[in-house]
Amino acid sequence: MAAPTRSSLHSLLHRNVRFSGGIRRILHTEAAAVPPPPAYPPMVPSLTANSKSSKRYRYELRVENVRAAAVEEKLRLLTRVQRKKYMVLPQTLARNADQWYQCFTKTAYIPGLPDTSSSSGVGRTEEVEGSTPDQLPQDDEDLLGEVRSLVSHALLQEHWYLEQRKRPALYKYQEHVVEPYVRNLVTGLTSCLATRNPLLLLASRDLKPEVNFYWTKGETIVPRGHRRGRVDPIRFQIDDKPHSQIRIPKQLSQFVPMESSYGLEVPEIKISPDMMPLFKRQYDNHIFTGAKLPDPARYGHTQFHVVQDRFHRNRLTKLNQADQVEVLLRAHGCSSLFCWTGAQAMYQGFWSREDLTRPFVSQAVITDGQFFSFFCYQLNTLALSTDAPADNPRKNILWGTESLRLYERVEEGRVVGLDDGVLRLLVQFLMNKPREA
Amino acid sequence: MIPEARQRLRSGATLLNDLRLFSVHPRRQLNVSRPLLGRAAAPRPRPRERVEIPGLEPITYGARSHYVPGLAKPVYPRWEMGHKDPRFYRSPPHQQMALYKEKACYLFNQRTSILEGVRQALWLTKTKQTTGLPSQLLSLAESSANQIADQDERVMNVIKHARFWEMTEMEPPQENYCSTLLHSLLQLCSSLQASHPVLGKRMLAEKYSLTASWNRGEDLFQVRGQNGLLLSSTTPLPPLADRQEVEETENHVLETFYPVSPTIDLQTTHLYSPDRMTTGFCGDYPYPHAHTLYFPEGVDRRNRLRPPQLRAKMIMFCFANALARAHTLYGAAPQTLDQPVCVQAVATDGQNLQLAFFQLNTTDLQHHHGVKNQVSTGRAGRLIDRRHVL
Repeated sequence: MAAPTRSSLHSLLHRNVRFSGGIRRILHTEAAAVPPPPAYPPMVPSLTANSKSSKRYRYELRVENVRAAAVEEKLRLLTRVQRKKYMVLPQTLARNADQWYQCFTKTAYIPGLPDTSSSSGVGRTEEVEGSTPDQLPQDDEDLLGEVRSLVSHALLQEHWYLEQRKRPALYKYQEHVVEPYVRNLVTGLTSCLATRNPLLLLASRDLKPEVNFYWTKGETIVPRGHRRGRVDPIRFQIDDKPHSQIRIPKQLSQFVPMESSYGLEVPEIKISPDMMPLFKRQYDNHIFTGAKLPDPARYGHTQFHVVQDRFHRNRLTKLNQADQVEVLLRAHGCSSLFCWTGAQAMYQGFWSREDLTRPFVSQAVITDGQFFSFFCYQLNTLALSTDAPADNPRKNILWGTESLRLYERVEEGRVVGLDDGVLRLLVQFLMNKPREA
Repeated sequence: MIPEARQRLRSGATLLNDLRLFSVHPRRQLNVSRPLLGRAAAPRPRPRERVEIPGLEPITYGARSHYVPGLAKPVYPRWEMGHKDPRFYRSPPHQQMALYKEKACYLFNQRTSILEGVRQALWLTKTKQTTGLPSQLLSLAESSANQIADQDERVMNVIKHARFWEMTEMEPPQENYCSTLLHSLLQLCSSLQASHPVLGKRMLAEKYSLTASWNRGEDLFQVRGQNGLLLSSTTPLPPLADRQEVEETENHVLETFYPVSPTIDLQTTHLYSPDRMTTGFCGDYPYPHAHTLYFPEGVDRRNRLRPPQLRAKMIMFCFANALARAHTLYGAAPQTLDQPVCVQAVATDGQNLQLAFFQLNTTDLQHHHGVKNQVSTGRAGRLIDRRHVL
């Protein structure tokens, strides 16, 4: 009896939609969950009209095209159109640059480094005994001794043993003296620690790679030109050139869960970025991690940066702006790491309208040869543009240390005042590896 | 006639007149300045030759302070500033400089491209060449203990990365490509440090400067300057040719290439310090022994060496490094070494890898007879076949 009843009820449902709730209630319990196929095609805005709804519809279709495309095509579609954009320089000398860059990249800053005691490695100075049980203190000391001799040899080679060369030309000191020393340091450390961290055996080490990222945040009105009066997103591009970086085929584990970033504060700056000063140019939009898509090492591990020659600590201290030293280093760390992690995320197919499902994590060491600063970054969200959901509570997180002195000076063929704490941090950074799930 | 046509004819007539005016003389630029016509300035006439007759003093127009036809041009001594200013320093002529020597010295540096290539390098360094690397080296390469996990795939990835994936452009420039390739391959090799701890006892020096000088026949030769990357080690390389082979090289006759002189293409200088010998490092450097030299070719865009010249450069710099170290170990006196000093070299121009193993057996290079040094050269195949590149 059910079948004839059901069919009559089914036809009733179609014919008598305007009946009272009672009948609908009875009908609803019996009706199947599958709605009937529509009798007419969906009503959508026009594709060719010059109306707001048409433009919005076309925009959404373009977004759907991007969503449906493969990763390489996605990148091409997102970076296809060239427009004027702000060039965000990681190595900037603008005052209070870290507030600006945190605003552009929606990054919150937490002083100090995240707790990575669950990943195996040499513990920090105050927790040598508290390191993982399989790491013996003697082993620790042997490793540290090896690292110490490696660092002092690399340093002395450039500062002492290499035959008297002419003093490097203006603004070439970093390139001729500091960069070879840091290169030897990184090479030596990665080879030395590869036994303990097998991920470094599979890693790819780039020297002077290009790292680029392009994104939009906020809106403005185009002031002049043939597009005058239109609402335009504010575009940014970072073109970074770290000294060297280590890329790995597996992703590093997150430092903290994404939800913990909900309560953090990100500085908001209402003034135009031109006031920073930041300058606009129009050229190719690039999104690049250091290698193209087919390269198997798609995730980042650690970057090493050498500060520019124009960055003078002593001069800033004399001008009573000693705090700007840390501010500028922090801005550098924030922008470089956001650029790298953002590019890594886009290589996996995430973008502003398809936000991350897992956080991307990378580390950076910024040095001028004597002072080392360590930064860790966790990218939680790429949804910074105005068409992404506005109530996105996620923020990106930057952890960083102050600049720590590695050694006091070099005299008579030996290094005076080599700091073990900095060496331990270096080792800890390189020993970071994904936690086994 | 229509007034417009008449006007046009008149204007046409004036144009014809102008053309005739311009075609009068090719050098006459009537009413028009020379730059507007786009022609270069006429060449200056040559100054008159000054004739000096000893005993006769020329009468000049110097006293008159203006040119007088018939009188000679006065010659004034050069004005000297009273003080030293580095912006306006004039170097004295070579003969008055402190390092001047009558005898010329022939220099070889990293940009020298010698005509006869390997033959000339062998003559200059008194070396006997063996094509093909020694079997001990080849067996080291083929032994499974020295293989990296997934070696073929990883080397392919390294080459692809250096050639295609490194930059946002389609093809990176050759200087980037060569250096990246070398450094990536070195990093791949250093991953064997777990099983071969001796790899950790080495240090790479990037901008080291070398000087080595020796007498060959009647000429003095020097090798100077930066050349490439140097991997130094705490322990010396063991020689691969035993004593018997070394003694057999006495019978080898060095190939000459008359009528070409062996000093062709070498830079000549009269300002040098003879017997100057430096390894590039001072003091008690912890890595005193040279292990391998790496030459990324193509870094200097204006000076790209062909493969024979690249091999010659490898031999010369290996020899210079070995000679400088033999000098520190055994002294300056020319002698046959009991313990030969060995250096290796690897050079690449992006397409091919050139390899060399140099063994310095003697520092007595003045005479053409006696024990010779030895070099084994080898070549790895092409890294990329351009025809199959997408």
